[in-house]
Amino acid sequence: MIDKIAFLFTEGLKSFLRNKLTNFLCIITILINFTILGTFFIAGFNTDNLTNFFRSKYTFEIFLQEKVDLDQSNAVIKQLESNPVISSIVLIDKDKSADIFLEEFGEDVVDMLGYNPLPMSLKVSLEKSNFDLNKIELLISEIEKYDFVDSIEYRGVYIDNIEDKINLFIFFFLILVIAIVFISIQMISNTVKLSMSNRSDFIEILQYNGASNMFIKIPFFIESILQSIIGALIAFLLVNYSFIVINSYFNLNIQIDNFLWAWMIGLSLIIGIYASNKAMKRILL
Amino acid sequence: MVEFKNITYNYSSKSGIYNIDLNIQDDEFCFLVGPTGSGKSTLLKLLYFDLFPDKGEVNVLGYSSSKIKNKDIHRARKKIGVIFQDYKLLKQRTVYENIALPLHINGVGRKKISNLVNEALELTELSHYSKKFPNQLSGGEQQRVCIARAIVKNPDMILADEPTGNLDPTTGHRILRILEQINKEGTCVIMATHNYKLIAEKSYRVIELDQGRMVSE
Repeated sequence: MIDKIAFLFTEGLKSFLRNKLTNFLCIITILINFTILGTFFIAGFNTDNLTNFFRSKYTFEIFLQEKVDLDQSNAVIKQLESNPVISSIVLIDKDKSADIFLEEFGEDVVDMLGYNPLPMSLKVSLEKSNFDLNKIELLISEIEKYDFVDSIEYRGVYIDNIEDKINLFIFFFLILVIAIVFISIQMISNTVKLSMSNRSDFIEILQYNGASNMFIKIPFFIESILQSIIGALIAFLLVNYSFIVINSYFNLNIQIDNFLWAWMIGLSLIIGIYASNKAMKRILL
Repeated sequence: MVEFKNITYNYSSKSGIYNIDLNIQDDEFCFLVGPTGSGKSTLLKLLYFDLFPDKGEVNVLGYSSSKIKNKDIHRARKKIGVIFQDYKLLKQRTVYENIALPLHINGVGRKKISNLVNEALELTELSHYSKKFPNQLSGGEQQRVCIARAIVKNPDMILADEPTGNLDPTTGHRILRILEQINKEGTCVIMATHNYKLIAEKSYRVIELDQGRMVSE
């Protein structure tokens, strides 16, 4: 049995080295498709980060009525903090508001007007894990009804728009992934068919000598595995180092998944083996 | 061992084999004779399940054409050695590798392969050619490689399709002698030929075909 496995493995390796042109074409096909896939995966991975970044920045500010004092505002904080969509609430009293005004406009509002007209406000941060824009909007509309609330400032609509666009991008990304996977399967399958028809004499001789379909298939599978690993590995190195260069050249912080190599090679292997099997099924009845 | 029960196989309305009834025993040596297109090769192809009859049933080495599944054909072929007129050798492999191929298919270990291939090389007088490639050999030598490949796995049956067709008479006789020797060791040999001169001096069973029908036995 070990001799048989060794023979089949050697056959696969020999035929990989012998059929340079078909193997080269197949590796190039995998390389192109997986370079595109890898690039889009990194884009998708960073889109997710971008969404999380927007969500982390998603806060709204409740401006309180002039009549509300510190005790009342603390009571409001306690009431709101129990809501699961809220992660934290920071009270910005009149003094802090004046400091912010000074920071942003370079003028002391008390010196300018002789009194502090800025209202007290509550800066509300939201839970990233329970993020649901509908729930947040519902919460805001409820808070708006309270008589201690003067106004609420939030940019939810803009973030919602951005998220819609990100979701649209992810949708097209998924379609592209499916299309590339489908194209890869077709191209690898056609290359295997070509390779098999080039070696139809060899296959025929094996069959006449009592070789089972599995015996004939294994060297082709080994060839496909080698093509998949080489193609995907080169694609990974290309994508990985391109983004490292882009990051350092443009001073960006594009994140690269630590397991990018694993899923690229894994997916390539699955596609390679499936496509070879598909091609061989049609030839070896 | 071999049983043809009212076999008909049509390539088209004008060619094929028709209503063949035939029995061949385990250790028999028999010739299938007839002109080109008489159906000899078709009969052999039915024996190694390269073709399946349109009508009737072929039984070979315990496998029936009506019952055998695609996935089991290789099991039957492991018991049959086939010799082709066009040799069907792998051009990129040495003589040794060509002969060893059926043994690798059967999962034989490397040491045993070496012993069996050397035996087959000796029997076919090819010991000095083991490292050569088929295109470095003459037609007769290539045919002997094909025979060595067929016998190396010690099959129950040898099917030889015009093994002397492309060879000169002396080489033809040499090939026939090798096949006779294999038969003496108990292997059934069925040889298709249209070389009547070659078989005239032999007393083996002769099955004659003409236009797809068995005309004499």
